[in-house]
Amino acid sequence: MKYNPVTEEILVELKEIVGGKNVLTDRDKIEAYSHDETPKEKYAKMPEVVVKPSSTAEVQSIVKLANRELIPVTPRGAGSGLSGGAIPDYGGIVLSVENMDKVIEYDFDNMMMVLQGGVITNNVQEDLAEEGLFFAGYPMSLESCFIGGNIAENAGGGKAVKYGVTGRYVMGMEVVLPTGEVMRLGGKRVKDVTGYDLKRLLIGSEGTLGIVTEATIKLLPKPTKEVALLVLFEDAETAIATVPKIMTETGIIPTGIEFMDRRSVQASCEYLNEHLPYQNCGAMLLIEVDGAEEEQVENDYFKIGEVCEKNGAQEVYVADNHTTRERVWDVRRNIAEAFMVISPEQSLEDIVVPIASIPDLIPELDRLSEKYDIQIPCYGHAGDGNLHATLVKNPEHSMEKWYQIEDECLKEMYEVTYRLGGTISGEHGIGSKRKKYFPEAVSAVELELMKKIKKIFDPNNIMNPGKIFDLE
Amino acid sequence: MKIITPIKQVPETSNVKMDEETGTMVRDGVESIINPLDLYAIEAAIRLKEEHGGEVIAITMGPPSAEKAIREAIAMGCDDGILLSGREFAGSDTWATSYALSRCIEDIGDYDLIFCGLQATDGDTAQVGPGIASFLDLPLATYVSTVEKVYIAEESSYTEPDENSITVERLLEEGYEKLRLPLPALLTVVKEINYPRLPTLSGKRKARDVEIEPKNSEQIEMNKDNLGLQGSPTRVVNIDRPKVTRGGRIIDASEEGKQETAVEELVEYLKSKEML
Repeated sequence: MKYNPVTEEILVELKEIVGGKNVLTDRDKIEAYSHDETPKEKYAKMPEVVVKPSSTAEVQSIVKLANRELIPVTPRGAGSGLSGGAIPDYGGIVLSVENMDKVIEYDFDNMMMVLQGGVITNNVQEDLAEEGLFFAGYPMSLESCFIGGNIAENAGGGKAVKYGVTGRYVMGMEVVLPTGEVMRLGGKRVKDVTGYDLKRLLIGSEGTLGIVTEATIKLLPKPTKEVALLVLFEDAETAIATVPKIMTETGIIPTGIEFMDRRSVQASCEYLNEHLPYQNCGAMLLIEVDGAEEEQVENDYFKIGEVCEKNGAQEVYVADNHTTRERVWDVRRNIAEAFMVISPEQSLEDIVVPIASIPDLIPELDRLSEKYDIQIPCYGHAGDGNLHATLVKNPEHSMEKWYQIEDECLKEMYEVTYRLGGTISGEHGIGSKRKKYFPEAVSAVELELMKKIKKIFDPNNIMNPGKIFDLE
Repeated sequence: MKIITPIKQVPETSNVKMDEETGTMVRDGVESIINPLDLYAIEAAIRLKEEHGGEVIAITMGPPSAEKAIREAIAMGCDDGILLSGREFAGSDTWATSYALSRCIEDIGDYDLIFCGLQATDGDTAQVGPGIASFLDLPLATYVSTVEKVYIAEESSYTEPDENSITVERLLEEGYEKLRLPLPALLTVVKEINYPRLPTLSGKRKARDVEIEPKNSEQIEMNKDNLGLQGSPTRVVNIDRPKVTRGGRIIDASEEGKQETAVEELVEYLKSKEML
C-alpha cells in the first residue's frame, strides 16, 4: 500500500478542523505518540502529525480527509497497550482521543452510563461508588487507560474470572468508520438480536475497523466487601493444580485468581522491599472474593483458603482491608516493573489455555527456559487460563542473538499453547507485535474472512494499517 | 514474657474525605482498621514472644465494634485480647484514655513489656503511650527503632530494680540514642522497627472462634471521675488546618554551565546540615 505524506496543505486543513493547538508536529511532542508499552527500540514509529479532536464531528472530518488523501490514521487511547496497537506503523496521522474525556450521561435508572472514548476508565469509578455502582470491565493498567482503548482491545484484567472482560459491559457505541461515516450500534437494551452483532465485531478490533467515539456501558452494584488471599506454595505445580479446585470444590467464583511463579515473586518482592516470607516459596496465588455481605465474603474466603490448605499451601495470608489488600496486590502489579529493572529487553506474552491445561503448560515453559538459556518468569490470570509468560533477555546474549531467540522461542511456545487448546493472546491483542504469528493462530478460512471484512469496512486500508494482519 | 500491646481502631484513611465546613473527617462508610502504626508494636511484641516465649495480649478501648481490632490482632498472632467498652468511656481524651488503659493493664498484671505504636493516624497526638507509662510509673522509651537485647533473669522475681532489662535504640532527628531500661517498661515504636506480618488464615480461624467479653469500669476497678468526657481535661475549642511550613528546595542544574555551581551549592547545603 502506498500512502501519501502529510503535506503543509493537509496540516492547514487539520488545523481548521481541530484548531492549531490540537495539531502537533514538533518532534519532541510527538515522540510520546510513537510507542505504547511494548519495547520502544523494537516497535516505535514516529507519526507525521498528532491530531487531538474533541468531538465526533471532528473525528469524522479527520477520517474523511485521511481517506480522501490516502493517509494512514492510527487511533490512540492512553497508549498503555501491550501489542503495538496504537503505534503508527506507516507514519501518517495519530488520532488521539485524549480530549474526548467527557461523561455524557449517568443513567442510574438503567444502571448504565454514556461516555466519550477518551474518559479514563478508573476516573468514573469514584463517582459511581457514591451511587453504590461500579464498572466491572477492569484492566490492570487501571489508573491510566481510556474506555475507548479498553473497547478496541477488549481488555481483560484481574477480575475476569467473575466479571468477564470489557466487552461484556459495552451496551452501545458510536463509531466513526474508516470511510468517515458515523454509525451507532446497540444502545441501552439489555437484549438485542436484531441482525448481526456488529458491536461485538468492533469490540477487540484493535482500531482497524473504526474509532469508538462514544460508549454506553453497563454498571453493576458495587460489592461492599473485598478480601484477597495471598497463598504461598512450595512449587508452581502445586499452586497451579489448586486453581481449578478452588472453584470446583467450593462452588464459589472468586473475582480473580492470579498466579505468580518463583521468579516473579522474588523479583517483585525484592523490588518492593516486601518482607513476606517469599524466599522459600515456589509460587503464589492471589485470590480475591467480593460480595455485598461481610459474613458471606468471610465464609467464602474461609472455604477457599481451606481448599488451598488441603492442597498443600505453605501459608494463606488474609488481606481484608484496603491497606493490606493493596499490599498483596502490589506484589502482583509490580512484576513487570520489577523485571524492567533486571533486564529491560523482554517479550511480555499473553497466552491463554483452557484452565485445566495450565498444569501441563508450566513444565513446558521450564523446558523452553532451559533450552534457550533465558528466564521465562510466568505470572497472570490463572483463573481464566491467561498467563503472562515473559521472555527476558539473558544479559550475556547479544541483541542479535536475543532477537533470534525471541522469535524461535515464541514460535515454540505458541505451538505448545495451540497443542493445549490455547491461543496466543487473551487480552493484549495481536497488534503489530504478534502479527507475524497470527496466521498460525487461525484457520486460512477465518483469516481470509477477516481480511474481507477489513476491506469492506476500510476499502483504502487507512485505518490502523499493518495491525493484526497485512492485507497484501 | 508477658507483653501487652494497647491498640486503637481508626478509620482507614487512604481514601479519606474531609467535611469542608467542619474541617473534620467524614467517617460514614469508612472501613475501620487497626491504627497502622500499632501494627509495628504488635509485630515487635510477637517477635519477642517468638524468641523468648510467653504471651502477647492486645487491649483496646472503644465502641463494641472495636472488637474487630482485637480479632485482627489475634489473627496476626496475639494470644488474647481485651476490649474496654462502656458508655462511661465515651468522649475520653488522651489523659482519660491513658488512665483507663493503665487500669486495664494493672488488672492484667505481671507484665514485662508494653509496646505502643508511636501515635494514632486519626488523632496524631502520640500521648497515650507516654500517658500509660506515667500512670503506671514505668520507664519509657519513645521512637524506638530497634530492640537490641532483652535480658530476663532465669528466676525472675522483679525484686531487684535492675534485674531484667531491655536495650533499645531510639530514632531521633539527628541520629540514634541507645537506652537500657529496667523492666517492666513501655516502648513506643516507629516504622523502622520491623515489617508487620499479614494475618494468616489459621490466625483468622483462631480470631473468629475466640470469645471477647467487653470489660468496663464495673469489672475493672477505676475512679469513675477520671473517665469519659467529664474525666477529660482537654476541650476542643477550634479546628484549624495546619499550614505546611516545610518546603523543598530545587537547585537548578538544567542548563549546561549551571551544573558546576549547582553541585557546589548542593555540597555547601549538605555541609551546613552536617550531612557531609
